[in-house]
Amino acid sequence: MTQASNTAMLAPPPRRRGWLPAGLGPATPALVLLTLFFVVPVVSLLLRSVLEPSPGLGNYAELLGSSTYLRVFLNTFLVSGLVTTVSLLIGFPVAWTLAIMPGRWARIVFAILLLSMWTNLLARTYAWMVLLQRTGIVNKTLINLGLIDQPLTLVNNLVGVTIGMVYIMLPFVILPLYGVIRRIDPSILQAAALCGATKGQALRRILLPLAAPGMAAGGLMVFVMSLGYFVTPALLGGTNNMMLAELIAQFVQSLVNWGMGSAAAFVLLVATLALYAVQLRLFGTSQMGGR
Amino acid sequence: MTAPYLHIRGIRKDYGSVTAVENVDLEIRRGEFMTFLGPSGSGKSTTLYILAGFQDPTAGDILLEGKSLLQTPSHLRQIGMVFQRYTLFPHLTVAENIGFPLKVRRKGRAEIDAKVRDMLRLVRLEGFEDRKPADMSGGQQQRVALARALAYDPPVLLMDEPLSALDKKLREEIQVEIRRIHQETEVTILYVTHDQEEALRLSDRIAVFSKGVIDQVGTGPELYANPATRFVAEFIGDSDFLTCSVLSSDGRTADVRLGSDFVVPGVPVHGGGGGRSAGALLLRPERISLHRHQPAEAGTLPVTVGGLTFLGSNVHVAATTGWGEPVAVRLPFGHGAIEGLSRGDTVWLGFDPRATHVFC
Repeated sequence: MTQASNTAMLAPPPRRRGWLPAGLGPATPALVLLTLFFVVPVVSLLLRSVLEPSPGLGNYAELLGSSTYLRVFLNTFLVSGLVTTVSLLIGFPVAWTLAIMPGRWARIVFAILLLSMWTNLLARTYAWMVLLQRTGIVNKTLINLGLIDQPLTLVNNLVGVTIGMVYIMLPFVILPLYGVIRRIDPSILQAAALCGATKGQALRRILLPLAAPGMAAGGLMVFVMSLGYFVTPALLGGTNNMMLAELIAQFVQSLVNWGMGSAAAFVLLVATLALYAVQLRLFGTSQMGGR
Repeated sequence: MTAPYLHIRGIRKDYGSVTAVENVDLEIRRGEFMTFLGPSGSGKSTTLYILAGFQDPTAGDILLEGKSLLQTPSHLRQIGMVFQRYTLFPHLTVAENIGFPLKVRRKGRAEIDAKVRDMLRLVRLEGFEDRKPADMSGGQQQRVALARALAYDPPVLLMDEPLSALDKKLREEIQVEIRRIHQETEVTILYVTHDQEEALRLSDRIAVFSKGVIDQVGTGPELYANPATRFVAEFIGDSDFLTCSVLSSDGRTADVRLGSDFVVPGVPVHGGGGGRSAGALLLRPERISLHRHQPAEAGTLPVTVGGLTFLGSNVHVAATTGWGEPVAVRLPFGHGAIEGLSRGDTVWLGFDPRATHVFC
């Protein structure tokens, strides 16, 4: 943002060139790309959802009126909420540890985090399938330790989806949280201690409120990404907890019902944008992506 | 003499093989304003942080009214602190910041409100209750930090260079405030600074830190008139040092020789043994008299004027001795002896040997 305004300031005195607002000239390629590959498909999607098979809001009525589809919506939000919560619960202590760790160690942990992000998504999901199955290493270890008698069902259900997705989403929570926590002056926490605050009070009254923008940014990113997630729920989830992306895929691939698929996709888009608007409203733009 | 209120006893702190402070021993009276003065890295902040409980000493103890504090974690030490950087909680208002220590102690709403009002009056920030720290100047923020540190009536207040981020004028203004608040609250203050003027302005006593040890403890005038080490002499006030050789010494005073034949008798001597050895003679630039013609009495040192610098109320005369050492003299503006004085003139410097010191 600052960069854009800097360029505007450095530019020669405004000589208006037709229809583009001043300073947008250099953005032209990106704008063309966005229009061609984002705006046009989204509009055509919207049109398909209200035109196929017959003009009207029939697709939406069916989608939102049927209890089957509603269960998919509900399940999508449930899984996303669960994944977001668990990611934040695990991510916060990790980000905090990274922030106070000596730089050399922090770099190693970051390398591990990024390496996992760069590994193929399918490979990672299949790896979890192997690990979590009835005869997988997780169950075997638990049985050998004598913690359980019977193998736990860890795949093809909510547990499997949550584990698999939290694993994939963690970096998206940790990175923004780390950025926010790093900017908190450690002497603020020392001041809190000398004011008489216990560790718990300092965490609750000082650290968490100060880290809230990072939690919101990371949490929202994870929630939104989870809403539209396909691969992991499809592979690790069961038939009972289908998510919206799976439903869309089914409409388009199996049922070749572009109207319903488009309508579902559009509902997802609107939900995402609404959440984004809430975030902007609460925290403004500055904290969204970090600096 | 009763037992000291706060006793820092033989504190030592090692970081690996590096010793940050050593043998720090201080007795502080209740209500005293004690300043730790020294350059950065001299161990003064480390000592303060040990008092705050952020660091544990390698050896030694800290006793408050005879009871050791070392086993008490920071949040139970009941010590207030104002930091060098602004450490107000950015998401809380001024009133919430000041009330924070009371809130975490689960005090009632009415008590907190009353105390916050008192504190705001004390630091003269009435009407700022609902401001956020980001909307205030650095000086105002530090005053709020002071109010927050004093809100729960701590017996001891630590201040770690609280004014170093402020400009000179504001600094002096807040120094006056700190002095007044100290008198009003009678809190015991331990204050860290590297600014000798600030130390002299504020403190009852000053502990001069150098390379991890305390060189000397005393009131400002004591340190100035009777510096125990060359470092203290350099740090408090302005100073000229001339290399000299010690001709004879009885351990308290010595006869010293400057250059090849200028003998100064009866100079208070610090450190070193008797016999012939090299030393440094301390002169205070403002206690040297300047004569345009060689006076009748002996004991004046001829020097060549190098230049004059006008410093407002004072004029600084830079000169060089016959053997090439620089020496500075400070005279009040308008003093007769500097009228028409110019570069290259020879003048004679007079000083009382008893007011000088030799360090060896």
